[in-house]
Formats: sequence, C-alpha cells, structure tokens
Amino acid sequence: MIPLLKVKNLSVKYGVIPALQDISIEVKTGQIVSLIGANGAGKTTTLKTIMGILKPVNGSIVYRDEDITRMPTPQRVRKEICLVPEGRGIFNRLTVRENLFLGAYHRSDEQEINSDLEKSYSLFPRLKERENQIAGTLSGGEQQMLAIGRGLMSRPKLMLLDEPSLGLAPLVVRELYELIQEILKQGVTILLVEQNATMAIRVSNYVYLIETGNVKLEGIPKEIESLEDVRKVYLGG
Amino acid sequence: MFSLGYVLQQTMNGVILGCIYSLLALGMTVVYGILRLINFAHGALITLGAFFVYFVSISYGFPFIAGIFLVIGFGSLMGLVLDIVAYRKLRGGPEVALLITSIGFYTFIENFLKLIVSPQPYAFKTPDYLNILYRTQLLTFRSIDLFIIVSSIAIMIAFSLFIKKSKMGIAMRATAENLEVANMMGIEINKVISVAFVLGSAIAAFTGFFWGAKYGQISYDMGFLTGVKAFVAVVVGGVGSVPGAMLGGFILGVAEILSVALLPTRFAEYRDGIVFAILILVLLIKPSGIMGVKEEIRV
Repeated sequence: MIPLLKVKNLSVKYGVIPALQDISIEVKTGQIVSLIGANGAGKTTTLKTIMGILKPVNGSIVYRDEDITRMPTPQRVRKEICLVPEGRGIFNRLTVRENLFLGAYHRSDEQEINSDLEKSYSLFPRLKERENQIAGTLSGGEQQMLAIGRGLMSRPKLMLLDEPSLGLAPLVVRELYELIQEILKQGVTILLVEQNATMAIRVSNYVYLIETGNVKLEGIPKEIESLEDVRKVYLGG
Repeated sequence: MFSLGYVLQQTMNGVILGCIYSLLALGMTVVYGILRLINFAHGALITLGAFFVYFVSISYGFPFIAGIFLVIGFGSLMGLVLDIVAYRKLRGGPEVALLITSIGFYTFIENFLKLIVSPQPYAFKTPDYLNILYRTQLLTFRSIDLFIIVSSIAIMIAFSLFIKKSKMGIAMRATAENLEVANMMGIEINKVISVAFVLGSAIAAFTGFFWGAKYGQISYDMGFLTGVKAFVAVVVGGVGSVPGAMLGGFILGVAEILSVALLPTRFAEYRDGIVFAILILVLLIKPSGIMGVKEEIRV
C-alpha cells in the first residue's frame, strides 16, 4: 500500500542549530502512527514542518503522491492536512463558535459547514453549551476538545496531533483517547506526537522513537514496548 | 459661568474632531493588532486624501461627490502600495525596523507633498450645500458637521460589524491573536494584512476630506500631529481593540476642544499637551488602556 504521507531525510535548522537530522517516517492511510520521545527531541518540529510552518533545509515530504515540501501552509490545509497544535493553540479571545468556524476557513460550502458545526456540537455537547463564550474561559479539557473539533471542521484526511494529553487530568486523557479512536473510525489518518508514551503506544499501529532530531527506533507497538531501554526511559518502568 | 448652549456647541466640535481621530485610529489599531507596527505613515494618508480631494474637486472642478468616491479608491490603493512596498519585505524582522520604516515613509510623503504643493496652507472651499447653516435654540451647525458625524458613525458601525461578523473580520482577529495558528487554519496572512491596510487607508484618506471641509484649510504637514494623536487614541482605548480606538478618539477630541473652550485662554496653547496628559493618566490607572486586554508576551 502506498503511504498517505512519506517524509524522507528531512532536516530542519533553527538558525544554525539543527533541530531535525535526516528524519524519515511513513504514515499509512487509516492508521495511527505516533512519534514518542523526550522533550526537545524534535517531535513538534516534525509536525510543524509537515504543516509548512517551518521550512526544511533538506529532504522531502510526499503526501498522497505529491511532493508538498515547498507548498505554503494554506495550500496544505486545502489538501486536507490539519495540525492540532501543542498547548491547544485555540484563539482565546474568539468565541467557541468562531474558533470552530475558522477550522473551516478554506471551505466555502456554507451548508456543509453548518452541518459540520452541528456534528461537532453533538460530538462535544459541552462546546454547544458554551458556543458564544470566549474560548479562553474554557477548562483545559474543553479547550483540547475545541482544538480537535476545530481541526475536524477542516475535514482532514490527515490529522497531526501535537501533545493532546498535555496538562489534562487522567480521566480526561482517557476520554480524549476514545475520541481519537472514534476520529480514526471516521476515516481520518492520525500522526500523533506524545510525551505520554504509554497511552500513545496503546492506540498506535506503528511507533517512532525520536531522539535529538533522529529516529532512534521504530516498530509496531509490541516490539517497542518489549524493549528494556524504552520501558525504563519512556514508559516509567 | 458658561451657558449650556456654549458647552453643547463646544462638545459638538469636540465630537467632530473625535470622529476624525476615531476614524484614523481604526486603521492604526487593526494594523498594530496584527503586525505590532505603530504605523506613522497612516497620518500621511489624511494629508494625501485632503489634497487629492482638493485637486479633483476644487482645482479640476469635479463634483465633490465624485471626489469623495475617488478618494476612497485612492486611499485603498495607497494602503496596498504601502503594505507591499514598505512593509512586506520586513515582516519577520525586528518590530523596530517596521517602526523606523513607517517614520521614514511618513517623512518621505510629507516632504514630497511640500515639494509639489508648496509649504503654504491651501484654502479648502466647499460647495454651498455643505455650508448650509442650521440654528436651533442651543446649537448652531453647518450641514458638513452633520455629514461628518453621520457618515463617521456609519463607517464605524460598518467597520465594527465587518470585524465582528465577516469571515475576513474573524480571520483578522485570529491573526492578531496568533499569527502562526491562523496560518495553520489556512488563512493567508499576507491577504489579511493587505485588507487591514487597504481598509484603514481608505478610511484615513476619506477623513482628509472631513478635515478640509470642517476646518477650511489643509497643509502638507497636517497629518503628523493628527496621526500621533490618533495613535494616542488607540493606546488610550486599548491597543488592538476596535471599540477602544473609537472610544479613545472621542475622548481625545472632546477633551482637546473642551480644554480650549472651558479653561482660561492662556491654557489654549497647551491643547496638545492636554491630550498627552490624558494618555499618561489613563495608562497610570489602566496600563492596557480602557478596553484593552492584557498583552501576552509574544515569543
């Protein structure tokens, strides 16, 4: 099967400091692939580069058989890639409804947008209640739901999820992961970045372990979990 | 001490000056919100607009209505040119580079005008239908006064609705809050910024006509202090806030006129100082401005 996304030998620098060195990853349609690794390993950088926010110095990004390495971000959004940023990245001063609406910014099918809006509300009833509230007043969990809901409003084929569980209570994290699997069932392929590796590995089809800008290990969850080193360092024993 | 009629009359003059500040402040506040740029060149637009209407409608004798419509187009074009020529290449660089560039462009435009129109002030004669005198018991005003107030309020309402309700307006607010995430949503940042410049500049150029028609005189340097005061209005109202900019403009206009009208004559020459005193006072009490939100630190 041809992968949906193929990142090959990608290198990114912040000024002169290398952030990614020759990273290669693949994401197949209908799967959840996760990038795990310590803080500062380059996981977020990878997602931002796939989204076109950062420009690589080397390497290529091929998505649905098309080289998108130099494509501007708004065009990538139209190609149905979306990034749910770390720390939610919702617009705090905008209402819940406006946030969701902006997810569909590149679309012009107004009726469909409205029906998608209703769908988001049925998926997240709490957002419906707070529709006209300023997003900054939501709780952490609600903000994460809003960020994901906003991402879904763009009708993505590929969703890049950056640290969705960060700062959330364990119960909310479980809810979140149920949601992620639900999204997958709706036909959205997911590339997940997590520091909380235990949860991420459990739902993934394939795992990459990133260390200092490199892929250190890769494999199916069972293989990764069984490695003594990984267990000690990333899975808490 | 002062009759009610006198105070009302002066307040109305203050409101008219406030309209001018408010309209200028609108364009400044949206541009500042997105780019963190204090756009000094914005003040030049009022001068350019005033001279544009002067040449079209007074020198060449086109009807004033035509002049008004043309100046809106002219202002839009100038806004787009400024955005693309002056600022676009500097984005992503230090904010101070943008600031210096805007001062540079202001100076360039002012000196250019000085060269082509001469340093002498121009008398701005408007047709009779703009100068019909109305007398009521308390107030005396001309038709132009009414025109300024009504059309300013109309512009402000339209602009506020645009920012609040339209797709582009929502995108603008999103971009002002977080440029990177806005880009992730598929918003073309350059387009949003151009729209902000075009709208703000069109309004500023149009305001130039108000200035000429109300005060009867225009000069190559009229935009400087007016632009600075409009920015003071932006800060007083709360940087980045559209209702704040309008409120700040009105506060400044009314305070400036009333300070001249109500204080003893020897204070009249301090009218500009009073404007800045208000700024300092407001910032002491509320550093983020009257309607401002606390600025998060941008990395």
